[in-house]
Amino acid sequence: MKALLALAVVVCAAGLVTSGCSSSEAKKAAAAPAAPQKLVCPDLPSWQHLANRIKAPVYCPAWLPDPLIGAIGNRWNNINSVSPDRSYLESFVWQETGGGAAGGELHVNLRGYPGVTKIPTCRTGGSESRNVPCYADPHGTITERGIKTTLYTVNQDADEWHLLLLWRRYGNLYTLSEHVAPPLTYQHVIRYLHQELRSLVLVKPSAATNT
Amino acid sequence: MKLTRTQLLAGAAAGAVGATGIYELVDRLGGQTPQRPENTVALPEQHLLDGVRIVESNNVEVLVPPLHHEIHTARLAVDRADLADAQRELQQTLAGLDRDYAPSPAGLGVTVAWGLPYFRRLVPDAARRYLPLDRRAGKPVIFDAHRFPSDPTNTRLESNDVVILIRSDTHAHIDDAAKRLRDTKLFELTSIRRGFAGGGFDGEQSLPKRLAVAAGVPGAALIPDTSELFLGFTSTQRAGMGPGKIANFETLGYVDFRGSDYFRHGTHMHLSHIQEDLESWYLNFDFDERVATAFRPNLDVPQDTQTVPQGPSQVSSAADVRRDYRSSRRFGHSASIQTTSRLQHDMVGPDGTHYIKGSAIPVRADFNTLDNPFSWSIRPDEIGVSPAAGVHFVVFNPTGDDFRRNRLAMDGVLPDGKIALPPRDRNQGFNSVLQTTHRQNFLVPPRVHRSFPLAEL
Repeated sequence: MKALLALAVVVCAAGLVTSGCSSSEAKKAAAAPAAPQKLVCPDLPSWQHLANRIKAPVYCPAWLPDPLIGAIGNRWNNINSVSPDRSYLESFVWQETGGGAAGGELHVNLRGYPGVTKIPTCRTGGSESRNVPCYADPHGTITERGIKTTLYTVNQDADEWHLLLLWRRYGNLYTLSEHVAPPLTYQHVIRYLHQELRSLVLVKPSAATNT
Repeated sequence: MKLTRTQLLAGAAAGAVGATGIYELVDRLGGQTPQRPENTVALPEQHLLDGVRIVESNNVEVLVPPLHHEIHTARLAVDRADLADAQRELQQTLAGLDRDYAPSPAGLGVTVAWGLPYFRRLVPDAARRYLPLDRRAGKPVIFDAHRFPSDPTNTRLESNDVVILIRSDTHAHIDDAAKRLRDTKLFELTSIRRGFAGGGFDGEQSLPKRLAVAAGVPGAALIPDTSELFLGFTSTQRAGMGPGKIANFETLGYVDFRGSDYFRHGTHMHLSHIQEDLESWYLNFDFDERVATAFRPNLDVPQDTQTVPQGPSQVSSAADVRRDYRSSRRFGHSASIQTTSRLQHDMVGPDGTHYIKGSAIPVRADFNTLDNPFSWSIRPDEIGVSPAAGVHFVVFNPTGDDFRRNRLAMDGVLPDGKIALPPRDRNQGFNSVLQTTHRQNFLVPPRVHRSFPLAEL
């Protein structure tokens, strides 16, 4: 019990640094943030366009950690990419390079692989590059709002050093990942992934448009 | 000094677990002490502990190390005129500890080892005459430590007079021993280093995992629950540790005693501190790559295995390491070291003990730590603000040169030549996630001469 108590205090203390919360706020920090009542995709037209373009459903994040906003084409959306095989990567990143407490990075990736359920293969890079699974080392499951995902801890390319949730739906493979980097610890990222997964808005391709 | 955000986070986490420090948690989180054999005896060797329990993990015999460890390094607060009194006083203190505690993990293990500064400053004439020689290296069995190819350029090479390694399953035993030794006023402490190992062999969460998580060390959440050490693999399997007296000066014939038995039953000790980047280890290396890195490439091990057999039949030769390197462009930590750390042929020790080909020679006593890099030091820059994952590496070899050969092999310098990889390359063992901060060599006299060796001469 003491161990559990000590652990809770550690998690809270880490939360205090980033949020500056008081003791009552500390209780909030220890619990996962509440999901919004009504999920609103912050940029539905762009996500709808993406779904239409790849001819498969996509997931729009109604919540990302401040200051990120899940709007395609905004200042935080540093990668908006669709490959010839219709797989996509939407990357949202905030970086502050200043030293001390002001610096840090928030980086969230959302991917989809239409018509694919097998974990894709990546190259490791460097002079001794070799093929490896893009997502490896499963560490249990995380489920929110009916989406059951597997947590992967060793990931490649744009998801390197990220914790990644992977799930399959409609015959497609989807991933949501976040970088483990200051100001976020492993526990922070897990909490944020829960929150982000809970906030996903499914956007299906519209029948009328096929752009 | 302004803290980085990481330091702030970790510092806050450490502060949250108790103002008296992270090691207060060791007894609270330590759980039950392991079952130990009874009727232990004090061996002539200081570095060997009787009563070490053996368990089976993945059908491999594993030695259960003491849970708690503490290392004190010091300068001596005596000069040559005081040596006889100092020798007597320390001997009495150590004998008192021997009387009060069984010489085992359940009781107390105390190993007193001496650095070259002691021999040079206080007993130079006797040292010139009696320090054993390494036949293979053509020099004394102890020499000043140096940096290895994968060491950072700022690795500190220390010059302590003496080091005292104290081990027990019960932290109070260590505290008592440390107090009695401190009360002699023979030592001016230069550092205190603390740590822990094991605790997960009976299925409960291991001590390293509990403490790393409680301290908020980056990557701690990914340490396997029952792991003996931070990096996720069992390190103390019986076949991977030098058996019995194999690391004694006299056993393998490496040492010329120069006509005296004074240091028979003694050995060489290397002490270093190594920081471990757990987050990089667990977020960048998947399980298969961790196995390839820790052991050797192309090793088929079931997912999440912690104890990987390393017996004589699994030992890699230099040719094996080169073959693996040709096929995978990488080599493993254990495999490369085994090219120098394992017996190349059967041998019989002077006491008649038969050591089979492939036996491990070094006797390791390393343990995990949250020191950053030390728990306390006379140098303020050696007491970090935040806990950090690391290992206080303690190893006993028949000579300093024997350790040097093993450590070079870890960097790819094999007996038949070097494997051409940059020293900290990801494909070269553990090196890319380890940083050695300190090194020093010591001589461990036999128990009978453990107090100020050679002073009576």
